[in-house]
Amino acid sequence: MDLLLEIVLKNGLMFDAVGVIGLGLLGLAAIKLARRDQSWGGTMMSMGAISLLLARFYLLVSPHIIDDSILHMIGPIGISLTIALPPLLLTLGLAGIVWGLWGHERWLSEETR
Amino acid sequence: MMHIPLLPLASIEAVRPVFLIIMGVFLMVIAWRLSKISAGWAARMIVAGALLLGFGYAIVMPLYEAGVIERYAPGRTHYHGAAATALAWQAVKLVAMNCGWLFFGLGVALHAKLLSIPARRRAINSPTLASNGSVA
Repeated sequence: MDLLLEIVLKNGLMFDAVGVIGLGLLGLAAIKLARRDQSWGGTMMSMGAISLLLARFYLLVSPHIIDDSILHMIGPIGISLTIALPPLLLTLGLAGIVWGLWGHERWLSEETR
Repeated sequence: MMHIPLLPLASIEAVRPVFLIIMGVFLMVIAWRLSKISAGWAARMIVAGALLLGFGYAIVMPLYEAGVIERYAPGRTHYHGAAATALAWQAVKLVAMNCGWLFFGLGVALHAKLLSIPARRRAINSPTLASNGSVA
């Protein structure tokens, strides 16, 4: 396999960094929108961005830190939480961003009318 | 083994792809409506990001969940189909999702004027110098 393709795909570091930068910008912009315009859409969007970032961070870090001793320590409830929480956070984050964007768009169109 | 009711709730197989499709389409529609209100590079970036994310969430992710596309894993050597196909779809997924978030985040940041200098700091320049001079 080509070396560049190998670096880009196998580690995934470059694209993950790009995605994290985008989500961070989105979160900061949403917080600024919420503070400046007092629109609830900004708050929803920032919550969504934060939960997406959390889930992404967990998915990136978990192969390196989770091993059998930690799994034994947190018990069955903790194990099912590690399985259930990341998809839940991803789902809620996406829903929060889309809902917040909708709210902000509606607020903007009422403002400009 | 204890069974927690939260676990099946979070991973219902049939609901999640439908949810992803609805969210992707909704995101594209809202971005299009938002681009009619705002103008310039912010609207273009938001629409570009939303189109990429819509493609990723509405087409690629449901295909992954349905098992039409095989998941690519670095250490895996045995695939049902061709390994190159799995690799190519992995590249498509990475580009669509991550560049989509980058464009969308940049667009919303431009829309929120996150990257521009605050107007208060820009207006300070000459009047304050004059007033300071008079005080001194």
